[in-house]
Amino acid sequence: MTDTIPILRIEHMTKWYGDKEVLKDASLSLNKGELKVLIGPSGGGKSTFLQCINFLIKPNRGRIWLDGREILRAKGKELYDYRQKVGMIFQDFNLFDHLTALHNVQIGLVRVKGLSRTEAKERAVLELDRVGLKSYMNQYPAELSGGQKQRVSIARALAMDPEIMLLDEPTSALDPELISEVLDVIRALRSNGMTMIMSTHHIGFASELADELIFLEDGSIVETGPPEKILYRAECARTREFCSKITEMYGNSSS
Amino acid sequence: MAESLVILYGALPYLLRGSLVTIAVVAGAMMIGVVVGISLAVGQVYGGKWLRRMIAVYVWFFRGVPLLVLLFLFYFGLFSLLHINLSAFTVSVIVLGLISAAYQSQIFRGAIMSLPEGQLKAARALGMSDRKAIPLIILPQALRLSIPGWSNEYSIVLKDSAVAYALGVMEMMARAHFVASRTYEHLPLYFAAGVMFLILTYLGTKGLRILEEKVRIPGYSS
Amino acid sequence: MRELFFFQPDVVSALMKGLWVSVQLIAPSAVFGVIIGFTIGALRVYGNAFIKAVANGYVLIFRGFPLVVQLFIWYFGLPYIGIYLPPFVAAVLGFSLCSGAYQSEYVRGAFLSVKTGQTMAARALGFSNIKMILFVTLPQAFRRALPGCGNEIIYLIKYSSLAYMITCIELTGQGKIIASDSFRYTETFMVIGAVYLVLTSAAAWLLRRLEDRLHIPGFEQYG
Repeated sequence: MTDTIPILRIEHMTKWYGDKEVLKDASLSLNKGELKVLIGPSGGGKSTFLQCINFLIKPNRGRIWLDGREILRAKGKELYDYRQKVGMIFQDFNLFDHLTALHNVQIGLVRVKGLSRTEAKERAVLELDRVGLKSYMNQYPAELSGGQKQRVSIARALAMDPEIMLLDEPTSALDPELISEVLDVIRALRSNGMTMIMSTHHIGFASELADELIFLEDGSIVETGPPEKILYRAECARTREFCSKITEMYGNSSS
Repeated sequence: MAESLVILYGALPYLLRGSLVTIAVVAGAMMIGVVVGISLAVGQVYGGKWLRRMIAVYVWFFRGVPLLVLLFLFYFGLFSLLHINLSAFTVSVIVLGLISAAYQSQIFRGAIMSLPEGQLKAARALGMSDRKAIPLIILPQALRLSIPGWSNEYSIVLKDSAVAYALGVMEMMARAHFVASRTYEHLPLYFAAGVMFLILTYLGTKGLRILEEKVRIPGYSS
Repeated sequence: MRELFFFQPDVVSALMKGLWVSVQLIAPSAVFGVIIGFTIGALRVYGNAFIKAVANGYVLIFRGFPLVVQLFIWYFGLPYIGIYLPPFVAAVLGFSLCSGAYQSEYVRGAFLSVKTGQTMAARALGFSNIKMILFVTLPQAFRRALPGCGNEIIYLIKYSSLAYMITCIELTGQGKIIASDSFRYTETFMVIGAVYLVLTSAAAWLLRRLEDRLHIPGFEQYG
């Protein structure tokens, strides 16, 4: 355990707009196969943190290592290569509206990875099959339900063979009855050993699967620990207050 | 350079009088456009099948044939064939008005169709005939919604009015060209005419925005 | 013989000649207009402050000046600074620059309507900026700009008649000559009008076909 290099290490990540600090000195390290879950109130910095990790938002300060190698210049080819290894799932899916499900998964393989069309198609169909949507591959985003869209977006990210995945509240834009189909896919990812950071309000789901919960409030990491500790024996009063409120609202069930 | 400015300055009153002609042409055309346009729109939404078809042909014709061709057709052709003697100015106003009516009818039609169906139903439920309900209930709402589209139409008619020069109407463009061909200061004069059109566009759209604010009803916007 | 006037070989050939000039005016102007429109439209969205200001200034003038004024500037005005353009060239130049300014409005709106989530997703997949614009932004913007840009081309067909005013004898000009020679203004301009109607209607029909072909479910609504 002591000599394993974390797959992702983040130190002192800070982001401010004007004089408003939205992310304060956040650090985190992630070993292969781990799932860490960000919890905390809306506007607490979870989304900013995740988007800073793959530089969709440029952090003002902070260092990132992937596989022990620091990302020194977050631009050009180095940035594009890094982003391929860090898959991202958005709250509102962001499927490309002008492309079918198949082409959504295919486009990154062809245009970024440089695969041939036939190779890319084969891979894309495989990934869609894995999320149970092979028969929907010729549908456009507008013809899919929210849950289906999110599963396509997961397939799109997985097709790039990422080393880690960032999931930004992947179920919060979904109708309640569609949530479980997406959570099932994430659960399957977890059991296949995918390394992930996810933000969510589904505390039950998080406590069932997460190695660690990270409580983020006002842009700061308040407390970090295994689920049972954060949920029931948190040291910080704010953490306890939030956890009891959220369990009340979302229940303790894991789906 | 200095010489050009002197000539331009000297020509300015003449050009400004031309702008009055331009304003008159545009105002007349817009007026015809509103009256005919509203009638066409109402006919197209509430009329019978044949009326709707005839209106569609009208709109298709006046939107599909170039202004210049219509000016020639009406001025040299149709009116003289019918032995109606009209000045170039009048013909320009009528033709620009008839074309604008075709475009305006589509603006009004869109506005009428965007009103909730319940409005007409409520009027009918009060015992109003459609003949009363349309001018009293539908049009006051639809016209408010039409102002932005109307402002766009104004700027198009304004620019198109320069084509009336082809019939010899002495509006801004014609006067700029008239002075240019005598002083050989073509470029400055055309540019001045262009800027005057820009100013008229600005003033007109500004005026319509003020009108839009004035007639605004709370909770009602386009 | 009055009815047969438009079947006389010389009248027909004059009209065909005029129509051919019109087509030669419209086709390159439409192509240049679209190219200018997309370039200026993209610059107005993605350019820096200076480029945006220049592009907006261009659009202000070329949308704000009547097309007749612009044509006169190119044909009668340029000799003032020693540049003499043939009528045909002046007309194509005038149509292209004016049409491009109008086109850029639709293109600009279309680029702005591409949701930020779309570009974020592309970046998250490792797209470079150029690839993102080429494969995500442009295909979406193109579809949204198509109806507006197509309408501009229909306008262009009609406004091509103004070339007559700078002595470029196209369809309308030929009509004027035939009409003045024969004193048959009504018939002549009816026929000319009908030809334009065919052209504009055919263009509108083609545009609708193209829109249907490129139709994507749920995409035509603006975000």
